[in-house]
Amino acid sequence: MSLINTQGLSKNYGAVKALDSLDLVVEPGEPIALIGPNGAGKTTLLSLLCGFIRPSAGSAQMLGHDAGSSALRGKVTALPQDAHLDPRFSINRQLGLFARLQGFRGSSANEEVQRVLDTVLLSDAGVKKPGELSHGMRKRVSIAQALMGNPELVLLDEPTAGIDPPNVKIIRDLIRTESNNKTFVISSHNLDELEKLCGTVVYLNEGKLVETGPLVATSNDGFLTIRLPSAPEDQFMRECKKLSGVLDVQRQAQGDYLIQHTQGQAVDQALLSMLAKNSWQYRHLIKGRSLEDRLYG
Amino acid sequence: MISIALNEWARLFLAKRGWLAIVAFSLVWIVFLMYVIAPAARYLSSPEMGGLIDLILGRMGSRTLSEWQSAEMGLYWMFSLFLLPFFTMVSAADQFASDKARGTMRFLVLRASRTQIFFGRFIGQYLIQLFVILVTFVSVIALIAYNAPENVAAALQEAPVVLVNLALVLLPYVALMALLSVFAKTARQATLLAIVGWIMLWFIISYVQSKFGPFPFLDWVLPGSQLTSLVRLAGWDTLSLAPIPVAHTVVLIVIGWFAMQRSDI
Repeated sequence: MSLINTQGLSKNYGAVKALDSLDLVVEPGEPIALIGPNGAGKTTLLSLLCGFIRPSAGSAQMLGHDAGSSALRGKVTALPQDAHLDPRFSINRQLGLFARLQGFRGSSANEEVQRVLDTVLLSDAGVKKPGELSHGMRKRVSIAQALMGNPELVLLDEPTAGIDPPNVKIIRDLIRTESNNKTFVISSHNLDELEKLCGTVVYLNEGKLVETGPLVATSNDGFLTIRLPSAPEDQFMRECKKLSGVLDVQRQAQGDYLIQHTQGQAVDQALLSMLAKNSWQYRHLIKGRSLEDRLYG
Repeated sequence: MISIALNEWARLFLAKRGWLAIVAFSLVWIVFLMYVIAPAARYLSSPEMGGLIDLILGRMGSRTLSEWQSAEMGLYWMFSLFLLPFFTMVSAADQFASDKARGTMRFLVLRASRTQIFFGRFIGQYLIQLFVILVTFVSVIALIAYNAPENVAAALQEAPVVLVNLALVLLPYVALMALLSVFAKTARQATLLAIVGWIMLWFIISYVQSKFGPFPFLDWVLPGSQLTSLVRLAGWDTLSLAPIPVAHTVVLIVIGWFAMQRSDI
């Protein structure tokens, strides 16, 4: 049984096709990265899957049930984009209602609220109102509601958007820990973040599916990505091209260098020796290309 | 659905805005009780003034106040029939509007069907209106007990008719606000839509009736259209008009439920 299965799924807003005949099959497993530029249809897809909006055409199923059907309640949860808790009531009260709606009764509802708040490292936040928390903490509370019960699939729409690095790290660690027993689908523009977390990528553009498959693709063979904070660019590229098997060296964004080499030939040892010989410090060395470079390079 | 209905009470009693609404309504009601109902009841008790008011009300087609054993209860009946619907249009206006605009509704839709949310909130709001009816009724009984204790027993005898009718009168207004708050972005917008929509429909119906009419069924289209007929009736005869608010409620609730199913959250 597929985790997500869409057939000809379309959503139009007037003349604009936000999603255009999407045929997508996603299997359970490692977290899934849902990526694409603004207006690609990521949020529309997640909203359709959650049953927030209705498709213009086609169908969507999750875990063998139609999107939005009552059979999915408790099995599929989500962090919707731009959804906020009611500022008038405490976190405990609001999450308590969600817990009761999910079938928790009496004190077990309160215990479940405390459990998910503990999970997102906000044990003491329950008595506060949303307005008393920072943006990052509010986001973590919203993630906490998505962890209630025992969902099989958690859809997170931009979980780290506008969040400071400490909160991003907490959210990343949380997803990594929780992904042992549930599958996350994470929509984000932060490709570095997704590379650290996800095993599968679904790439949308202009409402259409561009690519889906493992994040570490075979197209990564024959590439190395290295970040050097201080090496002189021209000299490094010259030295690098002298190495046996190196076909090309290009300077990428963020100061990374993309080294293309003959497939099957290991050049990383020679590269490290060359760096040591020239006393150049490197920050990281990645086998293959970054996700950003693969998709937009 | 029960959790959602009970949560409506929490939304009223645990939020500052809810308390402000309660305090504001209580103050208005106390002023109304002290400076409208109480003095009017005193005037009615005097034979010459009571006769005059009865004459006016009689001309208006209303059941005369002298027919009520307690003048206070008669005045409460007439005023509350027209005042409480306005309170309902304000207090029941935020069944869905702000939650939809804020995205809070999405958290709920992940856990409950739209039908459960729609009817849960409708029932919760209706229970609040019943509570308001009860509180205002008790306040009038207290006033009678203070002014004319000998009339309390008679007033209590009238209670079932008054309470049942008020409960029926408010029903379509709660349904109307449920429907409008599916479309509105704020509670204020929902209230405005209700008032402006009601007035516009009234003008349209009046125009159609005068130009192409009469069409008797059009007299009963608007919520509250039975009120002027209701004040002419006494006792359980009033229930002869009960099908009208019930029909209004059914129509409004079905349209509202359908709109809720179709709307983007």
